[in-house]
Amino acid sequence: MNARKLLYVDRRVIYLLVAIGALVPIIRPIGLPTVPTKPVQQLFNKIESLGPDDTVIISFDYGPSSEPELNPMAQSILRHCFQRRVKVLVMALFPLGGVNMAIDQLQAVADEFDDINYGVDFVNLGYKDGAQAAMKRMDISIESLFPADVNGDPTKDMPIMAHARNYDDIAVVISLATGIIGEYWVNLVNAQFGVPVAVGCTAVSAPKYYAYLRAGQMMSLLGGLKGGSEYEKLLVDKYEFARELYEQPEIKITSAMAGMDVQSIVHVIIIVFIIFGNTMYFIMKRQEKAR
Amino acid sequence: MRRTIPLVITFLIGLYPIFAFFVPHGSISGANDWLDSALVIVAAFALPLGTVNVVMTNTTKLKRKSRGWQYSIVLLAGLTVMAFYGLVGGTGVHPSFQWMFVNMVSPLQATMFALLSFYVASAAYRAFRARNVEATILLIAAIIVMMGRIPFGDMMTRGMMTPLSEWIMSIPNAAAQRGIIIGAALGAASMSIRIILGIETTYLGTGKD
Amino acid sequence: MVSIGVWINAFLTLCILSFLYKDNPFFRFAESLFAGMSLGYYIGLANQQTLMPNLFMPLFRDFSGSVVLLIPMALGILLYFRYIPRIAWMARLALAVYIGYYIGVMFLQKLHGEVLPQSRDTILQLRGIAGIDVLWNAVFIAGVISVLLYFYFSAEHKGVLGKVSRVGIWFLMISFGASFGYTIMARISLLMGRFSFLVNDWIRPLMGAS
Repeated sequence: MNARKLLYVDRRVIYLLVAIGALVPIIRPIGLPTVPTKPVQQLFNKIESLGPDDTVIISFDYGPSSEPELNPMAQSILRHCFQRRVKVLVMALFPLGGVNMAIDQLQAVADEFDDINYGVDFVNLGYKDGAQAAMKRMDISIESLFPADVNGDPTKDMPIMAHARNYDDIAVVISLATGIIGEYWVNLVNAQFGVPVAVGCTAVSAPKYYAYLRAGQMMSLLGGLKGGSEYEKLLVDKYEFARELYEQPEIKITSAMAGMDVQSIVHVIIIVFIIFGNTMYFIMKRQEKAR
Repeated sequence: MRRTIPLVITFLIGLYPIFAFFVPHGSISGANDWLDSALVIVAAFALPLGTVNVVMTNTTKLKRKSRGWQYSIVLLAGLTVMAFYGLVGGTGVHPSFQWMFVNMVSPLQATMFALLSFYVASAAYRAFRARNVEATILLIAAIIVMMGRIPFGDMMTRGMMTPLSEWIMSIPNAAAQRGIIIGAALGAASMSIRIILGIETTYLGTGKD
Repeated sequence: MVSIGVWINAFLTLCILSFLYKDNPFFRFAESLFAGMSLGYYIGLANQQTLMPNLFMPLFRDFSGSVVLLIPMALGILLYFRYIPRIAWMARLALAVYIGYYIGVMFLQKLHGEVLPQSRDTILQLRGIAGIDVLWNAVFIAGVISVLLYFYFSAEHKGVLGKVSRVGIWFLMISFGASFGYTIMARISLLMGRFSFLVNDWIRPLMGAS
C-alpha cells in the first residue's frame, strides 16, 4: 500500500465524496433525532413567558452567506412569537441582504396565521445604516429612527409602535447574526441599556458567543443549524400546529431538523477523512523511516 | 491646517459619546442623540463609497482593453441595473430589486461561500495532522465537538457527546475566547485613545498637506 | 413549471460551483456579476432604506423644520470629495466626524461592554456554587488567566510565565478545535442550502416530481 499516493489523492475525489454525502440525505431524508440544549431552551422559555402585551425585536443581521443556517431559525422563532401573539418588530442592520431576508421570512411565516395583522401585531421596519448609531438612537425613539417601514409607509400611525417607543418597551432583542452586528447588540445595547439579548448566530461565530453567554451578557444562544433544529424540536414538542406544519413536505425539506441529516452524513465523512488522513500520515512517516 | 482641523474634530467628536455616557445630563445627551441620528445618514453615504473606485478601475480597464475587459462590462452592467432599481424604488423595496436579489445576488453569494465546504473537507484530509501535543489537542477537541453537533454522535455514545461538547464549549472554549476578547478589547480601546488624541493619523491618508 | 428566476438562480449556482473543477469563463462571469450587483445593491439599499425616509422625505415635507439634516447630508457628500484631487483634503473633515464618532462609541463598547463584564464574571466564578461546578469554574479561571498571560508579550515566555502560557496555548487549541468543528457545520449548511435548492426547486419540478 502506498500511503503517500493515498494521502495526496486528487482533491476532486474529496469534493465528489462531500457532494455525494450532502446530496443523498436531501434526496432521501433519514429523520435523525434532535436533543435541545440549555442555551436554546432559554430563549424558548422566554418567548413562552411573553404574551400579547409584550414586544420583541427580531433583527435580521445576516445575508445569503448564512441563509440556510439562519432562515429555519428565523421561521421557527417568528412562528413561536405569532402563536403566542407577541408583538414583533422586524428590522435589519446588516447591509448585504438583511432586509431581503426579513421580507422573505416574514412572507413565508405571516400567511400561516389568520388573525395577526401587519402594523398591529408585527411590522417590518426595514434596514437602517449606521449599526451602533442606529442602536443608540433606538433608546430614544424607535419611530424616529424608522419613520417609514420597509415599504415606505409611515410608521407613526401604526398601532404596534405605541407598544414599542424605545428599549423600555422591548422584552427581548433576538439578533440573527452572521457577523459583528450580533456582538454590538450584546456589548452596546445589553451593556448600556440593559435589554435582554439573544443571538442566533452562524456556527462559525458561536464559539465566541459562549464567553458572552457565560458572563450573562446574553440570555440565550442558538448556534448554527443545530441551534435552529433544537428550537424547531421544542416548538414541535409543545404545539400541535407546529407538529402538523413541520410535517408538510415543503416546510419539512427546508427545516433545520431535516438539514441535520445532511450535517450528520458529511460530518461523519469529514471525521473519517481526518482519521484516515492521520493514519496514512503516520504510515507514510514509518515507510519513509524504514527506507 | 488641512490635517490639524480634522484632528481637532476627531478629538472633540470622539470624546463626546464617552463624555455623554458618564454625564447623562439632558443638555449633553441631547446633542449626543442628534449625533446618533446624523451618523445614521453619514453612514448611508459612506456605504457605497468604494463603488466610485471600482467604477473608475473598471472603466479604465475597459478603455484600455486590458486582459479580461469583458468581465468589466458584466460588472458595470450588474452595478447599473441593480442601482437603477434601487434608486427608482423611492422609499420602498422595488419588486425588481427584490427579484434580482433573490434570484441573482443571493445564489451568487451563497454558492461562493458554499465552495468553502469542499475546501474545509479537503483541508481536514490533507492538513489536519496530530504532529505534536498542541495539534493533537486541537484535533481531539474538533472531533468531540463535531460528534456532539450531530445526532449520530449521541446515537453512537448513548447520549454522551452532546453534554461533553457543551462542556468543551462553555468551559475551556469560553475561557480561551474570554482571554481573546479581553486582550483584543484592551488593544482596541488603546487604539481608540491613540486616534482620539491624534497620535494615530493613518486614517487621514498619507498626503502631505 | 420552473420559473425564469429559478433557471437564472440555478445557472448562476452552477457557474460558481464549476470553479471546483477549475477556473473558467463561466465562473469569471458569475464572479464579476456578483461584484457589480453587490455594489449596485449598496447604492439602492442606502437610498431607499435610509436616505429617503431619514433625510430626503423630511426635507421635502418640512424643509425649514428639518434644515439641520443638511449638516449630515453635507458631511456625507464631503466624503466623496476624496475622488477630486484638488479638493480631496476636504473629505478629511467628514472622515474626522465619522471616525471620531465610531471610535468614541467603540471605546465604550470595548471597555464597558466587554472588558468590565467579562472580568467581573471571571472574578465572580467561585461565588455561591458547590460540587463539581467549583472544579469547572477553577478550570475556567485558569483558562482565562493563562490565555491572557500567553498574550502578554512584554516579558520573555520562560520560567513560570512560560509554563503558564503553555497551558494558555492548550486552552486556545481546544477553542480553535471547537471553532473548526463549528466552522464545518456552517460551511456544510451553505452547501446543503444550494444543493437543496438545485434538487427541490429546480430538478424535481423539472422532472414533474413533487
